[in-house]
Amino acid sequence: MKEKHIIEVLDNASITSLSETQVNEIQAHARECVSCRDAYDAARLSAVVLQSRAHATIEPSPFFQTRVMAAWREQQAVENVPAIWRLWNSAKVLVSTMAVTTAALAVVSLMAPASTTPLLDQSLSAYSAESVIMGQSSDDQMSYEQVLSTIYEDDDDAR
Amino acid sequence: MRQAQDGEESAFAEIVRRYSPRVFSVASRFFRQRSLVEEAAQEVFLKAFTQLGSFEGRGSLEGWLTRIATNTCLNMVRGAKRRPEFTVSDLTEDEQSWLDHQPIDRSEQRSVENNLVATDLADRLLSVLSPEDQQALLMIDGEKASIKEVAEATGWSESKVKVRAFRARRKVREAMEKLLGHRSKERASEQVTR
Repeated sequence: MKEKHIIEVLDNASITSLSETQVNEIQAHARECVSCRDAYDAARLSAVVLQSRAHATIEPSPFFQTRVMAAWREQQAVENVPAIWRLWNSAKVLVSTMAVTTAALAVVSLMAPASTTPLLDQSLSAYSAESVIMGQSSDDQMSYEQVLSTIYEDDDDAR
Repeated sequence: MRQAQDGEESAFAEIVRRYSPRVFSVASRFFRQRSLVEEAAQEVFLKAFTQLGSFEGRGSLEGWLTRIATNTCLNMVRGAKRRPEFTVSDLTEDEQSWLDHQPIDRSEQRSVENNLVATDLADRLLSVLSPEDQQALLMIDGEKASIKEVAEATGWSESKVKVRAFRARRKVREAMEKLLGHRSKERASEQVTR
């Protein structure tokens, strides 16, 4: 041990768990080796602070049991509510808003004036295929009887 | 135990009364604030009651609760940001004084209980480790638990526990060595200026 550095030994186990013989050997080496002495001092102090930390435990308060049981009852109460009711509770705001919006839209559509239809027909006929192709409106077209009477009108006059 | 598995409330209350010191002791390894320890302990018991049906009674109830407590606390601290390695200037006056007055006689044993300064110093040193490494080191070096006990409490393999403890011990020793080195240099310069 005297010739061998002790750092590996210090990292392998807590210094408090080493046997007296091992500690004596480490100390003997540390007296002669500066780097190992620093490592040994650090390991020794680390062990002391870690033990202090391990002893710093917090005890449960007298109300802890009551608090846990209250939380448990609350959890149970939530779990015992039917799934459909829990679903309604979480979605009721959204569903209500949607219902109100739908009702408002229905009222608006019923109350609005229905006078737009004739105008629409007129505008459609103004741009009908006939009027666009023939360049005349349907009002100018003659009926079949008018065409016949126009053709045979001259014949009647001749007779 | 059977009554608790049947959902009897008085049996749950008895479990809390009997095992809360153990659960608090586990949570105290991870947290110093009472509110956090209580929060963790409550979560442990609520989880345990929910999962009580899966407890087959192969091991002890205390061991089962210890494992739930360890995993719950690890999950709670995993999200917390790890602090960077601190320097000697971060130390409080009390901590610096504690380091300065370290026992000269190496066989001297300090009182480790209720030593708040040493506990604070330990927290600073442990903050450079991962929560898992902290856990392994505190149990083995602080509480003198065996490798097997740590493996049972955490669910890790024994070789994993050994590796974690070795790595953590080395990191903490190096951090402490650095602090002691800085302190001795500072003391030397203070003496020169006087």
